[in-house]
Order: sequence, then structure tokens, then C-alpha cells
Amino acid sequence: MVLLVACAAVSANAQGLPKVRLFATGGTISGYANNRDMQYGYKAGSIPPDKLLADIPEAAKVADLSYEDIAETGSGGINTEILLKLAKQINAWLARPDTAGAVVTHGTATMEETAYFLNLVIHSDKPVVVVGAMRPFTSISRDGPFNLYNAIRVAADPEARKNGVMILLNEEIQAARDVTKTNTERVNTFETRDLGPIGFADEDRIVFYRHLLYRHTYKSEFDVDNLTDLPKVDICYGYQEGDRACIDAEVAAGAKGIVLDDSSPGNRAAIKDARTKGVVFAQSDRKGSGRVLNSTRMEESGVVTADNLNAQKSRMLLRLALTKTTDPKEIQRMFEEY
Amino acid sequence: MKKVLAFLTLMVPLVSVVSAPAQEIPTAGQPPIVQDRSKLPHIVILSMGGTIASRAKDRMNLTHYGDGPAVNPQDWLHDLPELQNVARVTTEDMRDNAKAAKKKGDNFGDIARVAHRLNEIAKDPTIDGVVVTHGTNTMAEVAFYMNLVVDTDKPIVFVGSQRPWSGISGDGPLNLYDAVRVAADPAAKGLGVLHCMNQYINAARDVTKTSAYRVETFKSIDVGALGFADPDKVKFYRAPARKHTTESEFAGTDLKQLPTVEAFYAYTEAPGYVIDAAVQHGAKGLVIDGYGAGAITASETAAVKRAQAKGVIVVITTRTRSGRVQEVPQRLKAHLVNGDNLPPEKARLLLQLALSKTKDWTKVQRYFDTY
Repeated sequence: MVLLVACAAVSANAQGLPKVRLFATGGTISGYANNRDMQYGYKAGSIPPDKLLADIPEAAKVADLSYEDIAETGSGGINTEILLKLAKQINAWLARPDTAGAVVTHGTATMEETAYFLNLVIHSDKPVVVVGAMRPFTSISRDGPFNLYNAIRVAADPEARKNGVMILLNEEIQAARDVTKTNTERVNTFETRDLGPIGFADEDRIVFYRHLLYRHTYKSEFDVDNLTDLPKVDICYGYQEGDRACIDAEVAAGAKGIVLDDSSPGNRAAIKDARTKGVVFAQSDRKGSGRVLNSTRMEESGVVTADNLNAQKSRMLLRLALTKTTDPKEIQRMFEEY
Repeated sequence: MKKVLAFLTLMVPLVSVVSAPAQEIPTAGQPPIVQDRSKLPHIVILSMGGTIASRAKDRMNLTHYGDGPAVNPQDWLHDLPELQNVARVTTEDMRDNAKAAKKKGDNFGDIARVAHRLNEIAKDPTIDGVVVTHGTNTMAEVAFYMNLVVDTDKPIVFVGSQRPWSGISGDGPLNLYDAVRVAADPAAKGLGVLHCMNQYINAARDVTKTSAYRVETFKSIDVGALGFADPDKVKFYRAPARKHTTESEFAGTDLKQLPTVEAFYAYTEAPGYVIDAAVQHGAKGLVIDGYGAGAITASETAAVKRAQAKGVIVVITTRTRSGRVQEVPQRLKAHLVNGDNLPPEKARLLLQLALSKTKDWTKVQRYFDTY
């Protein structure tokens, strides 16, 4: 791991400003392409964090900046090792009494599940802002610099405390639990269906309109600081004529939990067989909006309902839940509280 | 072609089934009513009327109803016996005599009367929550007014319907049932005045009517809902960050009249003379619904200066209906108040309340930053 204080140009005149650290994992925001009209075919994670910060000297006026290089990959390269390292390094940084907040650069495709994972395992009430870009560093009209600048502003803002982990792109401050990527290309891709953003990084000031009512970060019971791995949980997508092969294969591969992303739970026999082997199931819904309702039928089948969490976030919560228990009733409580 | 013929052949027996003598359609039974209701919360349904309290003679009449007898509050209890399993529900009829209201030419009397009653209920230990029915057209601004002036952490839930009580697939019954469930839910305490229709729970400050006829009309455009009234339970995810009810400086306000504030719409070539006319008629405040980031025309700007010279306070909102009117040097210099992301009808009520306390535009700005 490389641990550096940001270059002199960035930290000049930073005395007394809130201390914000950038934890870089890569992504399109640090993507490099040969031509500036290339918005795909770039290499993610090519631009190092010091260059990202040097690109926005204005940010040095709002925060005393430093950075850590966690990974240099796109969304698809994020794995358990990186997630755990990221969580531990952010926890160590925020545990220091003189720090204000953290910013994480990340690919946008799986950013929401990393952000939700952090929302469950960061112990601090200080702001953690996950940021990315839809267009690479080298592109015309790239959105990265403004997104990163705003993420730093939010991470430096005491008003942003107790809001858990946030995702910021396109001036919108979204709650990690509720936000999802909704479009393959547009800069307004991140939306929180039903519940909306919690605030905005406007030019005149940062405004918050919402507090969160569920448990997260400083109120979370989960702790990965001493873990080196997480239980394996996979997802099965439901569709007409989908058979039990997916569930059986995942159980055979060693999955301790399975998220059924479905509109109508099927494969009862496969679920029953896997349950006898101790595999825990959570039911999300592929529609992408609305809760999976609790019913006695679901309760009797031993399948946990995932509230309105999407499959990829249900997977993160189920992994962490399985570090504590395999009791579906207890895991159901967790899905209702987080 | 063969396929079409086959389809037509199939259709024939179907048609004959439909035209055969009607079979009796089974109706769903009503759930058993809880016997010991002493532990259920006491919820008051307070009727301010609305489409939810309207009937037409014809159930297909969804747009120009009112030719049937109005729905009295006790009719709701009769039609929805299930409410008795959720709460001990009582009703109060707060509808004004419609003709008298028309004669007065305004309805602030209704708003003041209901605000007064809600502040009484706030102090009544026998009442746990309130559901207020209201017409959907202006319910968002009335709910916002109550959010500012009612001094209580008890749930107050505004509800209405898009289709009359008599309408086919009417949304009124489920909306009313859900509103009572929300008002009876301890988790709804302290969240400010709420709005519940179409199974969404929205905050009074942020919700607005977005469609003339659809049942999903109420949305909080910028920030979304607070929670859902789902069939299995009521669930909240968010709480408003802006101040309201018990934390409002206007809590307990019991004014029968407020300073006059009028609202104007900006568009290309919007003139200043309508603004002059409002000031001549005694307006103490103006809300101008600017275009884009809150711009107004040169004619409006000139009229605003004339109004300000007479002590009139001017608030700028944006007709885009999403996004804040931000603090910029030009507006600061011109002593124009930024209306945040409130629509003009809500900015108007907040400005009226503000003007009941101050004539200082910087203090008015603070109110708009706080509520």
C-alpha cells in the first residue's frame, strides 16, 4: 500500500482546513483514452490520485487534502480483498480525532454496492463520499472534476455528518443504501427511486433535506476490521422457466447464502434442499422499486425478505449478516433495520 | 390470415359467455373486527371535503362529479369497517358552507379554522393522531401551512383522492385506510405533517401535485418520499431535515388573517403592471416564479424595484419545479429573497407567515433557509 501526503501544490495554504483524504480505487473518473472523443474503450484507473487532485486546485481551498492508493481498477475488478482493505483504511483514518471526512473514487458500475458495504462497516459518523464519473479523465465535457470537487466539499462539511456513506455525482447527494445506477451512459445515471436524494451540492452551499431513519455506519453492529474474508453469497436472477440449476450450482460452489432476485419465488425444491445444508436465502425483487412484503408464507419457507434493497446490496448485507449468524429470523431483523 | 380467422373463431364462444345471464360474482368478505379496541390509538378524521368526499350519480363520471350527495365523514366509517381494526376512529366535519366560502371569495378562513382545531387537538391527551381530508388541488400548500403552525409531534396525515368516492376503481378508500394506518403508527410521530396517497408517504414541505388525473399525482420532485404504506406494514426510511411543527417559530400561530402576498409567473415579455396592481391593492409581499435559475424580465425587475421602495418584500422561486433558487451576488444586491426549492404557492404562505413577524428581508431569507 502506498501512503503519501498529497503533493505540495494541493496542500499549500491548507492550514486549519478540514482534513479530507481521498481513497482511490480507480474507475472511469481516472480512465485514460487516446482520444478525447472516446467515451468507451478507455483504461480505468490510469490516472493516479495525485493527478486527480492536482486537476482541481480549487479543492485545496475547502479541505486539507491527502490520499491513499487502494486499487487501480474498474468496477468489475473490485473484490472482497479490496473492499476489506478500503473499509479498514477508512476506519483508521476517521478514527483520528483531527480528520473531517473521506472521499472514495470508484467505478460507477458497482459503486452502489461498495458504498452500501461501507455504510454497514464504517464506525464513524464523519462523512464518507463515494464519487465517480461517467466520462473518462481524457474526455470532452468530462464530469469527473466537478463531481470530485463536490465530493470533497461534502466530505469537509460538518452538516454532512450522521448521513452515512453518500454517493455524489451530478451535484446530487444520494444515500448509499437507496441509490442505484439507472442508465449505462448518462451523467444523471444515479437515482434513488421512490425516496430521492438527501441533498444537493449547490454552488452557494451544500443543502440537506433528509435524515436517514435506518441503521448505518456509527450505529451498525457489523465490524470487518479483524476479518480477512467474507462469507460467499451469490445471486440467482428469476425469470420464466428459470430452473434450479443456478441454486444447485451456487450451493455446490460453496455459497453460504443466496439472493433470489425474482418477482415470484420459484424453485421451492431447490431452496428446501439448500436449506437443509444451512444455506440462507434472501428474496429481493428484480423490479428495482418497492419492498418485498413480509408474509407468513415467506416466513415459513425460511426465506428472508430483503425489504427494498436490490439484489447486489442484499448480497452485501447477507454476507455481513452471515459473519454473525445463520438464523433466518435474526437475519430478517437485520434486513429490516439496515 | 389463417391465424386471424382462428382468433376470430376463438372469440365467438367468449363473446357468447359474456352475453349469457350474469353469474353471481363472489365478493370478498370483511375481516373480523377486533373486540377489545381499548388499546388502539384514537385517530380523528377531520374532513375538509375534497374529491374523496364527493359523489357522482354515474360511477364512470370521474371529472365533473358533485351531482351525487356529498360524502359525510360517517359515510367513510360505514364504508370502511376495517378502520376499526386500526384505530378508534372518530370524525369531525370541518367543511365550511360552500356558498358562504364562495361569497367570501377566499378560503383562508378554512385554513385558519383547521389550524386552530389542530392546535387544540395537539393539547388533547385523548387524541393520538389526525387524518385531514382535503381536495387535491391545494392540499400540498395547506399541509405545508399546518407543518409550520401546528405545535405537535402527533402524526397529522393529509389525504385525498383523484377519483370521487363513487368512481369506478376509486382510490379514495385505500388512501383513507392507509392514512389512518400511518396516523396510528408510532413511527410517524415527529416527522412533521405528512401526506399519504397511492401508498406513498410524503413530507408536506416537499410534496406537490404533478398530474391532473393520475392516482400517482403526488410526488416530492427533488427529494422523494419518506416511506410507504405497504400492505404488510407502514415503513419509514427518511425524516425531513428542515424544521417543522414543534421546532417551528410559527408553531401555535392562530391568526385569522395574514398579510397579503400575491404570486406571479415569469415568461418571455412578462409585464410589470400586474405587479404594480397587486401593490396598489395592498400586497405586502410578492412571490415571482422565475424562469430557469430564478430569472425575471426587465419589466418585472422595474416593478419589483417600485414595490420594494414601498417596503414590499419579494421572493423568487423557479418555475422549473425542481432545484433551488441559489444565493447569487445579483439577488443579494437587489434584496431579493431566494425561495429555495419551494413552489410559489408554498413560498407565498411562508412569506405571509414571515411578514407577520418581520419586515426585514434578511430575516425573511433566514426563514426560507430554515423551513
